[in-house]
Amino acid sequence: MFKYAVSLISRRKLRTFLTSLGIMIAVMLMTFILFGMTDLQDAVLTQFNSVFKPTDLYVSNSSFAMGGVSSAPRKEDVQNEEKVVIDNNVVESIKSIEGVEEIHRIFAVTGFDVYLEGDDIPYPRSLIQAVDLSADNELFVNFTGDDPVLKENGIFVSNYVTSFFELSADEIIGRNIVLKPSQINNFGSIPNTNTTAQEYTFVVQGVVETDNSAFWINSDRALEILAQRGGFKNKEEYIQTVGYSQLLVSTQDGKTSQVEDALVNDLGLTVISTKTIVDFVSTLTAGLTIALIIFGSISAIVASIGIINTMIMSIYEQTKEIGIIKAIGASDFQVLIIFLIQAGLIGLIGGLLGLSITYLLMKVADPYVVKLLSDQGFTAVTTFFHFQPLNALYITLSSILVGIIAGIYPAMKAAKLDPVNALRYE
Amino acid sequence: MSYIQVQNLKRRYAISKSVFVDALRGVTFDVEKGEFISVIGSSGSGKSTLLNILGGLDRKYTGSVYVDEKDIKEYDPNYYRRYVVGTIFQQFYLIPSLNVEENILLPLKFGKKEEIDFEERLNYLLDIVGLKHRVKHFPRELSGGEAQRVAIARALIDSPKIVLADEPTGNLDSKTGNDILELLKELNKEEELTILLVTHDQAIAQKTDRIITLVDGKNV
Repeated sequence: MFKYAVSLISRRKLRTFLTSLGIMIAVMLMTFILFGMTDLQDAVLTQFNSVFKPTDLYVSNSSFAMGGVSSAPRKEDVQNEEKVVIDNNVVESIKSIEGVEEIHRIFAVTGFDVYLEGDDIPYPRSLIQAVDLSADNELFVNFTGDDPVLKENGIFVSNYVTSFFELSADEIIGRNIVLKPSQINNFGSIPNTNTTAQEYTFVVQGVVETDNSAFWINSDRALEILAQRGGFKNKEEYIQTVGYSQLLVSTQDGKTSQVEDALVNDLGLTVISTKTIVDFVSTLTAGLTIALIIFGSISAIVASIGIINTMIMSIYEQTKEIGIIKAIGASDFQVLIIFLIQAGLIGLIGGLLGLSITYLLMKVADPYVVKLLSDQGFTAVTTFFHFQPLNALYITLSSILVGIIAGIYPAMKAAKLDPVNALRYE
Repeated sequence: MSYIQVQNLKRRYAISKSVFVDALRGVTFDVEKGEFISVIGSSGSGKSTLLNILGGLDRKYTGSVYVDEKDIKEYDPNYYRRYVVGTIFQQFYLIPSLNVEENILLPLKFGKKEEIDFEERLNYLLDIVGLKHRVKHFPRELSGGEAQRVAIARALIDSPKIVLADEPTGNLDSKTGNDILELLKELNKEEELTILLVTHDQAIAQKTDRIITLVDGKNV
C-alpha cells in the first residue's frame, strides 16, 4: 500500500512540492527555535559565566539599571523613586552585611575623546571604566603588562585599542593616552558647553582582552576628574552628592541570595546577580521563542489547509481509481490509510526540505553569527548553531504528524466514496 | 443447490425525492459451478446493476443472491470482493502509474491468501495471458487487447471462484475481442471458473454456455 500511495503522489510532483513548501517554512521556523534559541541562551550565559562569578553582585542606585533592555522608563516611576546615593556610608553599610567579602567601585567616565599621544584620530568608542580592581581579577582576560594594579595615572587599554592604533601590546605599553573634553555629548548632536578645557594624560600600563569597555583607569583618579568636571570641591563632595554609580560586591559562597535580599530590602538598592541575568536571558529567549512558535504554528496551519486542499483535489482526480481499488478488494480503512500515507509523505517532504535548507543556512551563517557576537563582546562563543539529531527527528516526525492530521478529513471523504458511483465518475 | 442463486432481485434508484427508476424488477436465475454464461440486454436493461450487485459493490437491493450456499450479504464485503469474485471492466481500469506486474499484483496489497505462492501464480497468469515480455511496461505502452489481458490477470491473481466481466470486449476490435473471449473460455476450463459475462453483442453471447437476457430489468 505504501508503494501504491507513493506512486499516487509521484504523479503530481509539482503540486506535492508546492504543497510541502508550507510545511517547509513551518519547519524552518521551528528548527531555528530549537537550534538557535537554545544556543542564543547558552551563548549569553556562557559569556556571562566566563566573565562574572555567580557569587558577584552588581549594585546600583537606579531601578533602571537594565532599563534600556527590560522596559521603557515611565515618568511617574521616576517621580516616585526614592533614589539612594551610594556614598561611603552606604558602602560601609554594605560591608557590614554578613556574607560580603569585598566591594569594588565601578563607574564610567564620560564626555571625553580619547587620543593616543601623537595620533590625531580619537578612538571611536570612548567608554572609560573606573575600577579599583587589579588586572588579575576575572573581569580582565589575558592581561599583558608588568604591574596589574592601576596607578594614579595608569590606564589599561583593550586589545581593540591596540589593533585600532596598529600597535602591539609591547609597543603601546608606556605610551601616553590623552583624555580631551569632547565637543559633542554622548548623543552626538548637542554641543556640550558645561565642560572645562582640562585634559588628562595617562600612561598605558597594560593590555587586556575586551568585553565592551576599551579603557580602565584608577577609580580614585576617576573620582577626582568627575569632581573637577562637575564643579565639586573635591571627590568626597562628589561622592556625598552623586555617589558611585555601581559597586561590585563579592559574596561568600552560599550567602549570595542572603546578601542580595539585604541590599534590596534593607538598603533599597538595585542588584544584578547571575540569577537576574539568567532570568532576564530566559525571559528574553522565551519571548523570542514564543514569537517564533506563533509564526511557526501559523505556517503549520496554513500548510495544513494547503494539504487539505491538495488532498481534496486528489480525491476528485482519483475518484475512479478509488472505485477500482475498492472493486478489487480495498476496504474503506485501506483507502483511508492510502490517503493518510500521501498526506504524511507531503509532510515528510516538507519536513526534510525545511531541515536540509535550515541546516545549510546554519552552516553558512554560523561564522557570521559568531563574528557578530564576538564583535558585541561574546568572545566565549565559538559555534552558535548546533545541529541536534534528536530534535531533527522530532521535527521530522512532527511534520509527518501535521500532514497526517491535515489528511484525516480528505482521507475519510475518500474512504466513504461509494464504489459504484466512483466507477461511474467522469 | 446451484453455485449462484439469484432470486427476485430488485434494485430501485432515487433520481429525486419523488422520482424513482427500477433498474432491476425481479431477476431470478441460477448458475452452476464452472458455467460460462452471458447476460445480454440493451442499454438500460439492468446488466451493469446486476453485475454491481453480484460483484459486492452494491448492497442496496431486495431479493437474495446466494453464492456457494451463502447469502452474499453474510460475506465480509472486502473478503467477498478479494477472494470470491474477480471483476473485469470494459475500460480495463488499470492504474497508470503502475507497470503490468504491479497492476496484476495490486489486489494482493489489500490482502492475500497465505497458502498461495503468488510468484508462481503471477508467472502462470502472465504465461496464460501472453504478457511475459511486457511485465515492466506501463498501461500507456500497451494495446487495448494487452491492457484487457492485464485486467484479466489482475482479476484472477487472488484465485477467485467467479469472474464478472462487464463488456470486456466492448472497447476492442472484433479480432482482439474474440481473442479475449477465447482466453476467458480457456480460463473457464483451466481454473474451473464460473464466469458471468455482460454484453450487448449477440455474437459474443452465442459463444458462451448459456444466455440470460434482460429486458427492462427482468430476465426473459
